[in-house]
Amino acid sequence: MSAIGCQEFLSRLDDWMEGKRPADTQAHWRECSRCRSVAGDFEAIREAARATAVLDAEPSPHVWPALRAQLEQEGLIHDRRERRAAGWRERLGAAFGIHPRPVLAGAYLTALVAVGVALVLPTGRQSSENPWMAHTRTATEPLQAHLASAAHDTISSLQSSDPVVAASLHQNLAIVDNYIALCEKSVSEEPDNEVARDYLYDAYHQKAALVAQMMERGEYGP
Amino acid sequence: MRPTETGDVPEAEAIRLAQQGDGAGFERLYQLHSRRVYSLCFRMVGNTTEAEDLTQEAFLQLFRKIGTFRGESAFSTWLHRLAVNVVLMKLRKKSGKEASLDELTEPDEEAGTAGRDFGGPDLKLSGSLDRVNLQRAIEQLPPGYKTAFVLHDVQGYEHNEIAEIMGCSIGNSKSQLHKARMRLRELLQETVRDKARAARRAAGMASAARDEE
Repeated sequence: MSAIGCQEFLSRLDDWMEGKRPADTQAHWRECSRCRSVAGDFEAIREAARATAVLDAEPSPHVWPALRAQLEQEGLIHDRRERRAAGWRERLGAAFGIHPRPVLAGAYLTALVAVGVALVLPTGRQSSENPWMAHTRTATEPLQAHLASAAHDTISSLQSSDPVVAASLHQNLAIVDNYIALCEKSVSEEPDNEVARDYLYDAYHQKAALVAQMMERGEYGP
Repeated sequence: MRPTETGDVPEAEAIRLAQQGDGAGFERLYQLHSRRVYSLCFRMVGNTTEAEDLTQEAFLQLFRKIGTFRGESAFSTWLHRLAVNVVLMKLRKKSGKEASLDELTEPDEEAGTAGRDFGGPDLKLSGSLDRVNLQRAIEQLPPGYKTAFVLHDVQGYEHNEIAEIMGCSIGNSKSQLHKARMRLRELLQETVRDKARAARRAAGMASAARDEE
């Protein structure tokens, strides 16, 4: 006769399933057909459950796009361009210990609104000579000239007081100019690509923000 | 889900990216865990459309809170805890009442199950269990039993992880699982009996038809 009863065996059943099978439990299992049946059923249920897990499918492909749309709607996914622009501002702020002042930045943003309007305005695209880009250049050239002049003056004034900062600003300006050139190239190649246009607008925006920061730096000193 | 450029990003990096609001990070986390979360939801509700809605809701809640994840527990445990809560909330709404985990079990469960186990004729389930019957039986379990069973026997979680996911003690997790298996055994045996009865009835009708001939 086994040392334990059915009640005790059942209380140990989960351990039994995990492979913990002391001698007295095994003895009861050998002697009691009903407990043996329960243990067998538990094992059959577990095996069937594991088999169903293997067969489980993935959610249908429409779930992720729907989820992503919801995340974007709630602002949890930040747009790449916004993050990159924010990154620029953060890096510049960290590098130079300055933050753009609304008043100064606002002057450039006002000009940029005009550029932005030019970039998004529907334009006649009948010509094969990329009229959109020509239109954009007309709108951005005065701004570019103004920004270049302001940047030159600011760097010149900083050159004597803080040549290291002036060199850094010069370097960052070159990076932004390079970025603008790349964006303009993309827009030239794909004038109908609205994303490329957005990137170009973003590039101008970055330059305006940088120049505004440079002027602030030059005006108020390190 | 189609492969994307996020395919090789490790989980920790994906979490960091998602915490910065990077869509690629969110997508990678979804790729890594959506199958298991969906499986959990499907096993709990037994309906693909509802399971997808619940999967979406679980991930949405996860991503809303991802900024607060500090790695105190495994990410998958945290995610499954959210998913379980989403599913239980849904089941509570369906049943039309608010209930705690303790109330999500059968009212007479504390009376003990040993006596019931030996009540009926001894039918062996081995060999007669199929996927559909098992899923139907799982659906009839009280939510607390169901959660413990799906997490342990279907998804392979250990009791300490289940305790964390369900917000209960390890002992409670073991108890819920044991009762779930007992209840499933009863339900499945009932199915086997029904099948046997139907087979006998069919045999009887066939025999009667032969006699009439």
